[in-house]
Amino acid sequence: MTPLHHKLLRDIRAQRAQFIAVIMTIFLGVTLFAASYDSYQNLAASYESTFTEFRFANVTMSGGDVAGFADVARQEPGVDSVELRTVGDVPLQVGGLKLLGRVVGMPPDAQPSVNQVRIADGSYLAASDTDTALAEEHMADHFKLAPGSTFEVLGPTGWQTVAVGGVASSPEYIWPARNRQELLTSPDNFAVAFVTERLARVIVGTDGPNEAIVYYIDGVDDEALTDLLLAEAATRGATVSFARDDQPSNAALSEDLKGFEELALFFPMLFLAAAGMATYVMIGRLVHAQRPQIGVLLANGFTRRQVLSHYLGYGVIPGLIGAIPGAVAGVVLARVITGFYTEMLSVPSTLIRFYPATLLAGVAFGLVASILAAIGPALLASRIAPAEAMRGSAPAGRGRPSIVERIVPSLRRLPVPWRMALRGIERNPRRTLFTVLGVVLSLTLVLVSWGMLDTIVNLMDRQFVQIQQEDATVYFAGPVETDDVLALQEVPGIAAAESVLQAPVVLVGDDRYESILTTFDSGTAMHRFFGDDGKERPLPDDGLLLGGAMKGILGISAGDSVQLSVSGYATEARVAGFIDEPLGTAAYASRTYVETVVGATLPATSALIRYDEGAVVDEVRAGLVEMDGVAAFEDANALYDTAQKYMIFFYLFVGVMLLFGGAMAFALIFSAMSVNIAERTREVATLLAVGTERHQISRMITAENMMVALFGIPLGLGFGYLAAKQAMASFESDLFAFDLYIRPSTLVVSALAILVVALLSQWPGLRAIGHLDIAKIVKDRSL
Amino acid sequence: MAVSLNSVWKTYGEGATAVHALAGVDAEIPSGEFTVILGPSGSGKTTMLNLIGGIDDVTSGDLFVEDLNLTGLSSDERTTYRRSTVGFVFQFFNLIPTLTALENVELVTSLTMGNGAERAAAVLEHVGLAERLDHFPAMLSGGEQQRVAIARALAKSPPVLLCDEPTGELDFETGRLILDLLRRVNREESQTVLLVTHNAAIGDMADRVLRLRSGSIVEDRHNANPIDAGELTW
Repeated sequence: MTPLHHKLLRDIRAQRAQFIAVIMTIFLGVTLFAASYDSYQNLAASYESTFTEFRFANVTMSGGDVAGFADVARQEPGVDSVELRTVGDVPLQVGGLKLLGRVVGMPPDAQPSVNQVRIADGSYLAASDTDTALAEEHMADHFKLAPGSTFEVLGPTGWQTVAVGGVASSPEYIWPARNRQELLTSPDNFAVAFVTERLARVIVGTDGPNEAIVYYIDGVDDEALTDLLLAEAATRGATVSFARDDQPSNAALSEDLKGFEELALFFPMLFLAAAGMATYVMIGRLVHAQRPQIGVLLANGFTRRQVLSHYLGYGVIPGLIGAIPGAVAGVVLARVITGFYTEMLSVPSTLIRFYPATLLAGVAFGLVASILAAIGPALLASRIAPAEAMRGSAPAGRGRPSIVERIVPSLRRLPVPWRMALRGIERNPRRTLFTVLGVVLSLTLVLVSWGMLDTIVNLMDRQFVQIQQEDATVYFAGPVETDDVLALQEVPGIAAAESVLQAPVVLVGDDRYESILTTFDSGTAMHRFFGDDGKERPLPDDGLLLGGAMKGILGISAGDSVQLSVSGYATEARVAGFIDEPLGTAAYASRTYVETVVGATLPATSALIRYDEGAVVDEVRAGLVEMDGVAAFEDANALYDTAQKYMIFFYLFVGVMLLFGGAMAFALIFSAMSVNIAERTREVATLLAVGTERHQISRMITAENMMVALFGIPLGLGFGYLAAKQAMASFESDLFAFDLYIRPSTLVVSALAILVVALLSQWPGLRAIGHLDIAKIVKDRSL
Repeated sequence: MAVSLNSVWKTYGEGATAVHALAGVDAEIPSGEFTVILGPSGSGKTTMLNLIGGIDDVTSGDLFVEDLNLTGLSSDERTTYRRSTVGFVFQFFNLIPTLTALENVELVTSLTMGNGAERAAAVLEHVGLAERLDHFPAMLSGGEQQRVAIARALAKSPPVLLCDEPTGELDFETGRLILDLLRRVNREESQTVLLVTHNAAIGDMADRVLRLRSGSIVEDRHNANPIDAGELTW
């Protein structure tokens, strides 16, 4: 090691607190990057592997001429396999609970060539299994079903007992979504059972298959082929058709993956920017303080390149010390996150790999951030004129009243310590700027994560409290008259009941969109409708209300007409307006309007009910499920409660982010404060020498620093809000409408938290005042 | 007696590396005396001034200033002592660059007497800077900056004024003006002045000269007829 290397290491040791702060910030940034990016890669690979291993369909078509579609698909050169099967949403009764579940037909004795399942317990369906099913893993877990358990399925001939022959997970139900409009389900409301194709047809009451699934050669997506097949499905009257990307479960998982991808980019960038700023401030101060030493080095023959690389070293060392363990920790953390995640979701195939590129990229990011930060001060050091530098004193700054004093002259009458604090802010604009940026970045980090939580809480509240007004949905075994629905009001504990007709619908404008059409009574009290402007509007009798996303997809406006086909019946319908709902993109119409369009009286397929105040839900439920004709009961609160349970993960996430944000704010502000105090050592020593008490000096410095932090607060709140909005917008799709909502209390608490961190981060620097060697400092020319 | 040193030792380091900056110094400096402490670098003159000023601790011995024994004072007690008893004038002025001349002085008067703007202005006028009150240090010459520093030291009317190489950064003419100012203050306010310098010529204007070498007083000379600062040459 050369003497310069010794100097480098000893300088770092002498300023270890500041270097540790920078190292910690780099460590956190790189850890976050590696953890989130590797989790993203692992999850994406796990899903991909699942899709390939279990031959997940590239295209699915439901309803219409599926056999004809299958014949066409088989002729396409890129198609590997096509399966026809029967799928139906039917009432299930599991452990006394009636719910609207799904049966999926499977070939007996051998797995299908498309959409295979993984047998987690028991065995696959045999031809001899006439009344046996494979319980989907989420269903089995929730209802504690194992081979040998039984449940009941409602078929055309009534309730039929089915034995559980095994437990299976499927690439179609990694995320158990009923359809694209109903991505969030609760196990109490939705369950899937795989049965033999023959049994499926019996249960669904059909002679032939109603769904075709297509798998391409090697499962590789082919956009042109997909477009061709989807067009074919449309011409053959498909009620639902989608490509692999739009398959409900996969679409929901893609949103999730997107979250990891965002996390892998946005948050690490914040941390590395913060680390870069802290490094810049710290090395800038070091170069300033070491001007005489730099002068001596240059005067004694060291080249400018040597000086440059020496001061770059102050960036490289913390960069390496923070980035290497950060990358390793991130990679390890990613394994834990992936394992936890895939287990929670019952992903059939979990792939946890080591990606050397992530490790290298993490180290490179940390290193690049710190080197970039060091370049400026290092270049400055290499360009110093030796003679001037060896004279010791740096050029004196031009004194002048602060901007605020010039704007508000009466401020010049403030006590001198306050004036000193005001002017200190402008004294080193770069340091002030970095402190402000530190506050802004920290607040951004906190607000983006907390904003996500607030938005999701608000989304749940909006969907389940403000929009959906029903307490439960009752499904009937078959279509019923509206009078039958009204009869439900006689059941003790039920205050109101309204009939509803739900059916898959295809809307065609510039493009086509498959959705669910829900028909309510005019003036329904079970659902509220909010327009784009946020104002509530009634359900019109002169047209459809469509989810806002359809405006862009179909290229339509209010007042336009769209082609509408329901169960093979096609007609033209008027668009009365658009609504803003956070979950899904649905179509609504009043019973009056639909009856006018079709020219017939509509039956009801289900009823929305509201309980009497004080009604015991279990008793109402028990009373209802015993009724003839009632096939299933869906408690609106069950889904809400399930979602609330998952909120713990968000709280955990926000908690971690707050911790990270606090740590980042501390590191940044601590660096800036330390430099602030280091820059004025001589002043502080002089003030101490003339008899100023330490707490008076601390108060002056604190006042200055807190004013700077306060200045950063509104900027941070504004920037944080915009960043959070941007982050939320990236999740926006026809599946979810994430309108950013941040509670005012979140803004206040975040701002206060950052101010408290700023206050605390001064503590080490202010403590150091007590240990200043006054005698030495007041005599030292170089300070 | 303004200052009294009884067998004062100041040692830096310990064992084989110990350096005795002051080695059992005895001295008595009466009130109102203008004393110049001379000596080469490393002789201990600044150490002696720092000990008297309460910004450094004696290793052993007793040090009294205005009848207060500084040995063993706590940090807070020393702060109070510095605030009430001594004023410092440094070689490098040590002014706060973001404050004007008036504010630099006012900062000290506000500490000792609440709002001391009037007192600060009066002292600055006394040192000849009535026209420079609102100038920032960067706008002042070296001599003017040192005069602000002297005003800052005088503003709280300390009985003892400690000056460490006050002319070290100044040219000959300005240096003489500063010395003249210090002498005038000493005579008019009857303040005890201790001035450390390596410039032997300055000793001719003092009432008394203490010469230090290797931490010990090697000469203690009284001037029967000290000359005016204006007559000094070096």
